[in-house]
Amino acid sequence: MVSLLNSRGSNSLRGLVDLDAGLVSREIYVNEDIYNQELEQVFARAWLFIGHESQVPKVGDFVVSRMGEEEVILVRDRKGELHVFLNTCRHRGMKVCRYDDGNTLVFTCPFHGWSYDTDGRLVGVPYFEQAWKDNLDKSQWGLPEVAKMCNYYGSIWATWDKGAPEFEDYLGAYAPGVRQCFQSSDGEDNGVEVFNPANKWNIPCNWKFPGFSFDGDRAHGAMTHRSINVAAIGPQGEANGGSRSGIRTPFPQTPYEMSIPELGHGGHNSIYDQPGIAEYADTWFTEPGVDDYYRETAKKKAEKYKDTYVVGETALIWPNVNIQPHRILIWHPAGVGMTESWRQYPVDRNAPQFVKDAQRHYMMRYGGPCGLTESDDMENWNYASAASFGHIAQRYPYNFQMGVGNAFQLDTAPGMTLNHQVAEENQRSRLRRWLEFMEAGSWEDIFPVNPTPNTKR
Amino acid sequence: MADNDPNEERKAEVDPFALTSSVNDSILIRDLPVGAIVHLRNGATAEVTGNPRDGGWLFVTYTKFPDDPSRVGTEDMAYCIDVVGAI
Repeated sequence: MVSLLNSRGSNSLRGLVDLDAGLVSREIYVNEDIYNQELEQVFARAWLFIGHESQVPKVGDFVVSRMGEEEVILVRDRKGELHVFLNTCRHRGMKVCRYDDGNTLVFTCPFHGWSYDTDGRLVGVPYFEQAWKDNLDKSQWGLPEVAKMCNYYGSIWATWDKGAPEFEDYLGAYAPGVRQCFQSSDGEDNGVEVFNPANKWNIPCNWKFPGFSFDGDRAHGAMTHRSINVAAIGPQGEANGGSRSGIRTPFPQTPYEMSIPELGHGGHNSIYDQPGIAEYADTWFTEPGVDDYYRETAKKKAEKYKDTYVVGETALIWPNVNIQPHRILIWHPAGVGMTESWRQYPVDRNAPQFVKDAQRHYMMRYGGPCGLTESDDMENWNYASAASFGHIAQRYPYNFQMGVGNAFQLDTAPGMTLNHQVAEENQRSRLRRWLEFMEAGSWEDIFPVNPTPNTKR
Repeated sequence: MADNDPNEERKAEVDPFALTSSVNDSILIRDLPVGAIVHLRNGATAEVTGNPRDGGWLFVTYTKFPDDPSRVGTEDMAYCIDVVGAI
């Protein structure tokens, strides 16, 4: 579906989003028609984060996730294969799974009893012989399955659009960074596990407030999160000024805002001046023994990366997930003025349990539903969203002008657009990608003819 | 036998094997273990090979199928109201 919204003169989407001028109408955050268009044009098309394979380790394990507003089931079938299905019975639409996670032989609809195997096949239809007289081709009535699914170093992604590019091409130059986020702290691929269940909570704002600003709005930190260091939520307690980020050894690097405008991804990333990683600094003063573990894994990673220039560690992967080494942040649309916020916390799969617990608890008090940075951010997003619904307020566009005209490229970061580490370049990149998705008739219209090289910087 | 046969429930009451002869007591198949033998409405007998414990369905393999002996040994799913008894 392509809405008329892209062809209504001054009221077109282009009329609402002027990236050259850095002006964006509040309407794109509050307009119901635009929101509904997003569900079709963005969320039914883009690759979306579903979960992690460690959430479903055994045959029959399942976990319910979301794609846009709609629930999907990530399940491991009897052969051990992973699938992502829409959580709806083909008969009358009832959810076939009403648990957040678990283990099952089949998904049986509680309405009339249609039953689906874990590979999605319709295997049970009540009264099949007596009433249906065998006159139903069960093979045509299985659970709707995503068009494409990708297991990317343990992380599971899916899209409803069969025309979507392959996932690694979708990531472009951010592929190595996403891969790295799912490595254990010793640098081994697919080295993490994710705890069930995810933290989930609703926040009264449009999904684009968190989705488009995260990892693209460094300017807010000094003001919004000014009080957090006083609370000393970092693993070192009050040492080193109580920084929420823990103690880190300096390493020669230059931080930037980086993004791929033609793909929509972006993060606060650095270009490192030398290969290798920073020497480990003890920081877990409030959790005895944790430093011992991370000190050893850091040695292994240092050896592995001694000749490698490290790539960026975090990124917002278009449209709605931020991937970090110990934190995955997802903002599901839940109405034009509501977002269902999810958090998942990857930890080293082979770490002792007390290390896993310490890492996860730190991340939860940092950015969980009651986490302090999260509370700060939610207050901003929620009040900004509410203040943008007003008819008078909508006469006044948002200002996205910081750093307009200052973007540049570097040979050391192929495919990336860079700007000062405090800019709004990444947000403009996402808005640019948003426009392309909202106007496109198909993936052929929006995937670069010459995609960003998928190479390490 | 028609599904709405008014005699069905009465028959079940006197059938020593009738664990699940009406929709009202389908919960009884929920705890049937793998290996249990069930009698089905169509006259077949089958071994339970899996129980999703949803109260609605059993995975079974037919051990006797008088109307179609070729189905002996094949797998199927049995719906709760079709299970008329268990051993």
